[in-house]
Amino acid sequence: MRTSLKPEYFSISDTSGLPEFFKGVDIPFSLQAEPLKKELLHCYDTFDWKAWNKKNAIVLCCQRLNLVDLKNGSEIGSSPLRKAPQSFFPEDIAEEKTVSMLKTLSRLRAFIRLGSVKTEIATWRALDENQKTVASIELLSILQPKPSNAQKPLAYVRLNPVRGYPKELETLAECLKSNPAYSGKTTYQDFYTAVLDAVSSVPGSYSSKPSVKLKPGNTIQDSARELLLSTLEVIHANESWIPKNIDTEFLHDYRVAIRRTRSILAQLKGIFPPNELSRYKQAFRELGKRTNNLRDQDVYLLQAERFRNLLPAAMRDSLDSFFTDLRNQHKKELRTFSKYLGSENYRQFLQEWESFLKGNMSPDPDTTPDALRKTSDVAVSSIKKAWKKVIRHGRDISRVATDTELHALRIDCKKLRYLLEFYASLFPAKTLQMVIRQLKTLQENLGVFVDLSVQQNYLYSYLSNLECTADNIPFASSLGGLVTALYNERETVRMSFHDAFDTFDRQETEELFNELFNKHR
Amino acid sequence: MKTIALYSIKGGVGKTASAVNLAYLSSVSEPPTLICDLDPQGASSFYFRIVPNKKYSSKKFLKGNKKIYDNIKGTDFDNLDLLPADFSYRNLDIELLEEKKPQKKLKNNIKELNTEYPFIFFDCPPNLTLLSESVFTASDVILVPLIPTTLSLRTFEQLLDFFKECKLDTAKIKGFFTMFERRKAMHREIVEEYSGKKRFLRQIIPYNSEVEKMGIYRAPLNAVRPNVPAAIAYQELWEELMNEIEHRPTK
Ligand SMILES: Nc1ncnc2c1ncn2[C@@H]1O[C@H](COP(=O)(O)OP(=O)(O)O)[C@@H](O)[C@H]1O
Ligand SMILES: [Mg+2]
Repeated sequence: MRTSLKPEYFSISDTSGLPEFFKGVDIPFSLQAEPLKKELLHCYDTFDWKAWNKKNAIVLCCQRLNLVDLKNGSEIGSSPLRKAPQSFFPEDIAEEKTVSMLKTLSRLRAFIRLGSVKTEIATWRALDENQKTVASIELLSILQPKPSNAQKPLAYVRLNPVRGYPKELETLAECLKSNPAYSGKTTYQDFYTAVLDAVSSVPGSYSSKPSVKLKPGNTIQDSARELLLSTLEVIHANESWIPKNIDTEFLHDYRVAIRRTRSILAQLKGIFPPNELSRYKQAFRELGKRTNNLRDQDVYLLQAERFRNLLPAAMRDSLDSFFTDLRNQHKKELRTFSKYLGSENYRQFLQEWESFLKGNMSPDPDTTPDALRKTSDVAVSSIKKAWKKVIRHGRDISRVATDTELHALRIDCKKLRYLLEFYASLFPAKTLQMVIRQLKTLQENLGVFVDLSVQQNYLYSYLSNLECTADNIPFASSLGGLVTALYNERETVRMSFHDAFDTFDRQETEELFNELFNKHR
Repeated sequence: MKTIALYSIKGGVGKTASAVNLAYLSSVSEPPTLICDLDPQGASSFYFRIVPNKKYSSKKFLKGNKKIYDNIKGTDFDNLDLLPADFSYRNLDIELLEEKKPQKKLKNNIKELNTEYPFIFFDCPPNLTLLSESVFTASDVILVPLIPTTLSLRTFEQLLDFFKECKLDTAKIKGFFTMFERRKAMHREIVEEYSGKKRFLRQIIPYNSEVEKMGIYRAPLNAVRPNVPAAIAYQELWEELMNEIEHRPTK
């Protein structure tokens, strides 16, 4: 039997077993029952449904972790896994090919157990006249918990081919179809969806970028409220997960949502009453600040392997104490921040924020002169402004770009990016996608530059504060080596800035932007 | 892809029994595995109850890759496939004469299977023909089962001489003892002297009537009776072989 062959799925309304099912049907095979199996089936995906979005399912059953193609149910990766962990990373898996496939799905996000169902699997082998197995038929039923939708078929039939017996498979499929209890061909996706439904998991229910469909004619105040509320949802979705320390992306998405909130507040002037506006601006800035150390620690820990590899082998191990120290700090910091997340202060703040966004706002020509402007007008004018700013500032950058220039341009780019994402629903998707892709290349260059600067500075100050003891000599030299390596990397990135900017500042990009401005809804 | 041939000039020494059991163990630890039955007698095909497609013949085998691929059949065991032997294989040696480079034929014919199978086993017929030479070129390891007798050792020597004569790589050849019976003095002496030495694996397969019952089970012994002495010995042999393969630089 070969597992890479594609099984076929059917649903039937009769669960009494195959011999019963086939009664009265003339089948040219004998059916041999295998022992009935009751198995727990555990489903995994990342919090943001990376596997599902790529049409994959990750299931653990009978101590094997399988990566399954949702479209045809074929197994594209498989590895032994004894226990069913709450979450895992690709590196935690044994089989290499499966690891690399999981890595293409997600590098930073952990795969989390979405839920487990108890299934019953009854298997029959179809034997030909030589008693050779030519196919096997599995009757899969979900015992517990029951899928909520009662209309769902009671049992799924999986017809597993054996390589080299295609005709026999066809015959068997025909026999299945001719039966009155047969209720149609299904797909693995249907089965998997029923399983997820049973554990009350809704595929695709989280995305770090909420897709808010704005109405171009609405006032900008209403649109802004809508955007801010959906961003608040992202904040809430992540906050209960951050303390569990499963992966770094809960905090990351949380921070991005805060930054998005701040960015809307900063860029949409004359829309919200100034007093409240400044209060919330301040509060979100502080909230963001509370997470800065945690994020930095996350970043360094994620880079641990890369940092090690930047050094000659002999100098690597002395970095260990740096990472141990970092891990301890991270633990402490996480405890502090988790406590804050659970505090009454925090809860109340977000509660007030939500009420503010949902509450009545009567526009006042003095304090909120722009509140009633049309969303699409504001979208176009603010994107235009932000784009022109990027171009103007970018062109001003010296031949050898300075740190300050690059830092500033990075922020300009981010603002533009957020605006494009906020108003995405107003623009033709394809053009927007191309614009974003162009911008992304530039952002990557700037992002890497700034990250390398920050890392370098951090390590340098760590080095400067190091006690002058003999024991610290190897450690200090490794840190020194690392700072140098990062410095060299950063200078290479600096040299490539103008090329990156030139690909953004050119006719084609300009045309794309103009298309956006002319073709919005 | 690693290719392992079970080869001996002599019949009845345990080539098929070893090919079937080792291939099964390989399919469990390094899935998936293919076993090519090259013996027109079709003993390994028989063990798996597999008969070739009606249109399959030595001609298709000689066409290679796609034609071979289409005629592979799944056994009753996960991740273990078999290319059945057809009776027409008895003419393979003379048909090979027509080919331009008969020694390279098998190697080229299975090239495209390498993405699919990390391990391929050849169960060879007991003779020394052009087909065997083609197997020698195509194989990374040539496992030679030997019943521990002086006569077996002599044929083993002859095989080595043949390799040297034809400038083939003798390092590929690994002998191992099968059907070992402790009560026989000659068996004990030979095993003591040779096993684990140059060109010999350490692990020996004892004589075990369970092996003969494979014809009744129609399954690898390691699949149905993993705890009988011969099955345990095959498991050990497979592990030893894996170590050998891992520690040998690939060419
Ligand atoms: N270890 C063993 N103990 C007992 N009988 C064995 C053993 N190995 C093989 N046999 C039996 O010896 C006979 C020949 O073995 P087989 O594997 O078919 O040899 P070959 O393929 O070399 O001709 C078969 O009947 C087989 O069951
Ligand atoms: Mg044989």
